[in-house]
Amino acid sequence: MIAYFANLATLVAIFGILAVTLNFMVGYAGIFSVAHAVFFGLGAYAGAQIALTVAPDPLLACGVAALIAGVLSLCLALPALRVRGEYFVAASLGLQMVALTLFSEVKSLTGGIGGLTNIPRPRVFGVEVGVLPLALIALGLLLWAIHAMANGSFGRTLKAIRDAESAAEALGKPVAVAKALAVAFACAGAGVAGALFALHMSFVNVESFTLDQSVLVMAMVIVGGTGTLFGPLVGAVLLLSLPSALSFLTFIPPTEVGSVQQIIYGLAMTLLMVFRPAGLLGDQNKGKSHQ
Amino acid sequence: MIGTKFSRRALLGSALAAPFIRGAAAQGEPYVLGSVFPQSGPNAEYGPVFTSGVQLALQHIEQDRLLQRPIRYISEDSQALPQQGVIAMTKLVNVDKAHWTFAAFTSVSKAIAPIGDRAKTVMINGGAVGPDLSGLSPYFWNVIPLAHLETRTLLPYLVGQGKKRFALVYVDDPLGDAILKELGEQLPKAGGELVGSFSIPRDAQQFGPVAARVRQVRPDAVYIASFGAQQAQIIKGLRNNGVSQQLCSYSAMNLESIRTLPEANGMTFTVQKVDYAGGDALTRRFAEDYKKAHNREPTVYNANYYNGCRLFGLLAQELEKTNTPVNGDTLRAALLRVRKFPLVGGTGEFDDAGNMMAAIEVVQWNNGSLTKLV
Amino acid sequence: MLFVQLLLGGVQNGALYALTAAGFALIFGATKVFHVAHGSAFTLAGYVFLYGWTHNWNSALSSLAAVAVAVAFGIGMERLVYRPIQRHEGSFFTVFVAAFGVSIVVQNLVGVFAGRGFASIDTPLSNASEVLPELFLADVFWVAIIVALVMFVALTLFLSRTNAGVGLRALAQNPDLLRAYGLSSSRLSMLAFALGSALVAPAAILTAMTTGLNEAVGNHVMLLSMASTIVGGVGSLRGAALAGLLLGVAESVVLVFLETQWASAASFLVLFGFILFKPSGMFGAAVAR
Repeated sequence: MIAYFANLATLVAIFGILAVTLNFMVGYAGIFSVAHAVFFGLGAYAGAQIALTVAPDPLLACGVAALIAGVLSLCLALPALRVRGEYFVAASLGLQMVALTLFSEVKSLTGGIGGLTNIPRPRVFGVEVGVLPLALIALGLLLWAIHAMANGSFGRTLKAIRDAESAAEALGKPVAVAKALAVAFACAGAGVAGALFALHMSFVNVESFTLDQSVLVMAMVIVGGTGTLFGPLVGAVLLLSLPSALSFLTFIPPTEVGSVQQIIYGLAMTLLMVFRPAGLLGDQNKGKSHQ
Repeated sequence: MIGTKFSRRALLGSALAAPFIRGAAAQGEPYVLGSVFPQSGPNAEYGPVFTSGVQLALQHIEQDRLLQRPIRYISEDSQALPQQGVIAMTKLVNVDKAHWTFAAFTSVSKAIAPIGDRAKTVMINGGAVGPDLSGLSPYFWNVIPLAHLETRTLLPYLVGQGKKRFALVYVDDPLGDAILKELGEQLPKAGGELVGSFSIPRDAQQFGPVAARVRQVRPDAVYIASFGAQQAQIIKGLRNNGVSQQLCSYSAMNLESIRTLPEANGMTFTVQKVDYAGGDALTRRFAEDYKKAHNREPTVYNANYYNGCRLFGLLAQELEKTNTPVNGDTLRAALLRVRKFPLVGGTGEFDDAGNMMAAIEVVQWNNGSLTKLV
Repeated sequence: MLFVQLLLGGVQNGALYALTAAGFALIFGATKVFHVAHGSAFTLAGYVFLYGWTHNWNSALSSLAAVAVAVAFGIGMERLVYRPIQRHEGSFFTVFVAAFGVSIVVQNLVGVFAGRGFASIDTPLSNASEVLPELFLADVFWVAIIVALVMFVALTLFLSRTNAGVGLRALAQNPDLLRAYGLSSSRLSMLAFALGSALVAPAAILTAMTTGLNEAVGNHVMLLSMASTIVGGVGSLRGAALAGLLLGVAESVVLVFLETQWASAASFLVLFGFILFKPSGMFGAAVAR
């Protein structure tokens, strides 16, 4: 059972990273992206290729992954600078769908649907280490960074943009730079999560980076509460442990297990939103946090 | 043309632990058998087909008192997706400490093989046919003839029927890639020609435009390399949009939803040869008991997974005789020592890589029933 | 000839996309709800028709049942999900996640009750014959175009000639003003959902005949409807419908130049390009950033 929980904890930590970084974009900068899985994927492929071709050094893998995801986040920053609201959601959706096709087709780098297999276990100075401590450290560092930024001048600039972009611009805030930086930071974080994911699973393929996955991460943020520091983490724990918990319901016939789990998962998402629309940790009275 | 895979939860697959059999006579710690089959998603039709073969073999092992220790069977859901398969296999190996596992689908098998290899857990494939599944790991064995054996039977037959120009519509995954390679190499040898190949995403649903492209290359026959629900959509899409040529494929077409599809009439494909009625006692017992339990004729898939599970019974029995512990290494040693096993369809003989050899026949769907061509 | 063939195939699909996109645009324009579960109405309508067909119902009755279920689903979503969330002033994304949850539930319920995997209606309508050398057309091509045209004429008449229709358009423009005149925006939102959902039914029925259904069939439809709404310009029904047609054609015609596996990316590249270079869409007003 310990191995089982360690596996689950590692996934929760990795998705925790995804959720808190997405929350940084959504909650603080008001950029609603449904393409977070794209940068998760870029990081995973980068990390996997580093581990396979250079060395299974997690620091190197995470660094390269963060760099690649951060640089390519320009694809997302560009529309973010042009449009907002539903338009941006649609743009990120377009990006997600196009990226998915690219992930499937650029087989020399991604392995397509067959994926990259046999990714070696991470080693630091020649010693094999588990992914769980690495992921927890990364998560802690990112939380600390987000906390520091949210309360610093960068955070104030972002919130000003979120709440009234034109006013912020009129006040001379560097709107374009701040937005691009927020997107780059969040996407680099997703890249780190991707590299850790690749090292943990020893296998990556395009199916881990679908629109589904993006929506799952988005759901974690919303369910936990946007703009709160720990809300997304709560969302990650909840949405990841739900299906695992459901799998212990042994009275469901084997052929219906998948569907029943999905139905309960979907229902939980909907009901939570209907009854706690600001998320579990969000301020219910404050209500909506943007526009 | 797209498909968007949506609410198939990408992360934690289902994990169902169901104690299946606990014999009264058998004593001691149970052997753990696990399967990684698609039980939900677009390929869910296969899951119960595979599982029923395993379950019947478990019943027979129990009835025959083949083993001293009981068997616990755990069914995990792969959704036919590699990632889900990896999660399920990790659970089977690390949490359940499975002795023996069943896999299906080329992409899933390739993804889980490193896990089983690392843990030295035997993996049995009776459904996937990608040629690169041979020799994937010393512990990965195939009880199904792989696609290169199927195409090498099918292509000469069709070329002999005057079908020279082939077009291939293939799903964009390891199986499809393998078939593409196979047709490219084998067709010229058989005297035919691959005149066009059309890759489609796994979740594509509209095949009108693909049909237009297929017609353009003027094929004599169209080979379809896909699986599950998509096969039916491809067949209907091609037939409805003016592709009237011979359709052909591999054993995945041996499925209820294809049998009942009017457009699939005349579809020619290959399966492995099993004589249920006139075969040996073991085969007849399998066929009779299967019919009793499920009220229909068994298919090759049922037989394959029955064989895969029976093989465990036979090997573990060997090991129990000499009080050898049952694990991946001892099972493999026993397999290579014995080589030939009485299985459904006759004696199954394994090569060094753990592939079972079998005879192939060419069949055709004709108004809902299979006609044997060769 | 390949080009013409692909173009006509694209038009056939595009006509269906146009219908669902117009439904999505109608709902979004009038109520500002990003109805992500729109595809679920499509799935439900398709399967209801299939149920009627396999049980030998009259096809008019089956179609009516399909429309009724789609409408009921739309109204139910508005009443039970969107309205309570908006009462809490839930954000745009709260609505998104809730609707997404519903689409997961619908997809899996359909899988459990109707069986997973492929289901289609066997009709000679979808069987293409060679009308010109190398050019295959099925009767369903004409049916799709006629149905789409009839629906649009009816919708346009309704929106311009009836009080409720004018009210709907007013709701899109200025809800406050509407309230000042004593019109019920709540009843008008329901009407928007009912009409918008009804529009998917014919598309769903025709899809059941051509490509066939599976439980996930609505997802693609929803994404395309949403993309069409943006490409067409938010607030413009005509724009959404034309964009739906355009995306359908793009998906198909792109195969003249590209390998088959790239078709799925084509429509989303169009969408991405529009947002980057002309975010107001084809017919929309300028977008406030």
